[in-house]
Amino acid sequence: MKIFTHILATTLGVQALDLHGRDAALAYGFGVAVDIDHALKAPFYLRAVGLRDQRGYYWRSSLQEPVAFLWIAPLCLWLGTAVPLLFFAIHLLMDYSVSFEKMPFYPYSGWVTRGWLVNVPDNLKEAVLFVALLVANVALWMARR
Amino acid sequence: MKKLADTLGRPLVRLLRERLGLSPGQVTWTAFWLSAAAAVAIADRHVGSGLVLMALGQILDGLDGAMARQYQLASEEGHRLDTLLDRAAEILIFLAFAIAELVPLGHALLAIAAVLLLTTVCDRSGLDPGMKRFALYFGAWIPYPTLFAAIFGVNLAAYVVGLLIIDCQFQVRMDQLGGDLDTVASRAVAGEKSYQLSATSHQSPRKPPPDSLPAFNPGTPTADS
Repeated sequence: MKIFTHILATTLGVQALDLHGRDAALAYGFGVAVDIDHALKAPFYLRAVGLRDQRGYYWRSSLQEPVAFLWIAPLCLWLGTAVPLLFFAIHLLMDYSVSFEKMPFYPYSGWVTRGWLVNVPDNLKEAVLFVALLVANVALWMARR
Repeated sequence: MKKLADTLGRPLVRLLRERLGLSPGQVTWTAFWLSAAAAVAIADRHVGSGLVLMALGQILDGLDGAMARQYQLASEEGHRLDTLLDRAAEILIFLAFAIAELVPLGHALLAIAAVLLLTTVCDRSGLDPGMKRFALYFGAWIPYPTLFAAIFGVNLAAYVVGLLIIDCQFQVRMDQLGGDLDTVASRAVAGEKSYQLSATSHQSPRKPPPDSLPAFNPGTPTADS
């Protein structure tokens, strides 16, 4: 999923749960900023592909795969909040609806999956979700005013 | 670090091996029992003597590997035993601090979890900051809950970075594989599995040599695409 869709989903969650301060920062950290691993893959992309636009490159890492629950769960226990777990799960659910290859448990397992709703075109899923989230955000914001 | 430890520990290693006739495995077990004794002392609130026993255990723990290397006795099984008993010793010592009520049990358990998580990837990633029992020597100056927080944080962070290092290693393999990008992950995993199978049957190194894979060329799809 694209970053704007993740921002909308996280903002909706932050509004709905009325999160502030540290919890809001954690929500955006685990709902949006986990995508920072794409920046980590950028040098690999540049070395392998160059500056051309090459769709389908493997941008994912274990930072945004279910295997990350192994470290996010202890972190939540330490911090005494379930916010990272919740927003990371939302991020994952959204990413797993896009049909690129993913390795949920790498390096512990080499299982590769394309996620769910694989028969629905990715652009359609993204567009529907984007509009739904935008409408829900605006509606909730107006209701709270 | 290993070279330095080998040089400094050489007289002690010689004493243990040639005078006392100990094997690296026996030294590993002795180190573990010293750590277990340290845990008992700490749980009984004799922290000072516990830390002395722990230090002796850690010195011996550093000598088993040196002995194995010096006398060409190093083996995969020995490495596994060393790692297993190191973690067991840490679990005992961390729990001892909780039993002595020097740290909350939850903090000790989370520190153990972080150390165990790091252990699952540190051989492959090559990243181990070494901040486990060692941090506890600073208890005279820094409160133990803070030290356990540091152990938890450092090991958990090292685990995350370790996962990313392994991801980068896998990315290099995918880039070398090339071909259809839409199936590159599954093909790289399949290649990794078949190489591991052949490596097991031929007793050869586990990692494929980088030049054994075709160069990355996303513009020319392979037969897989």
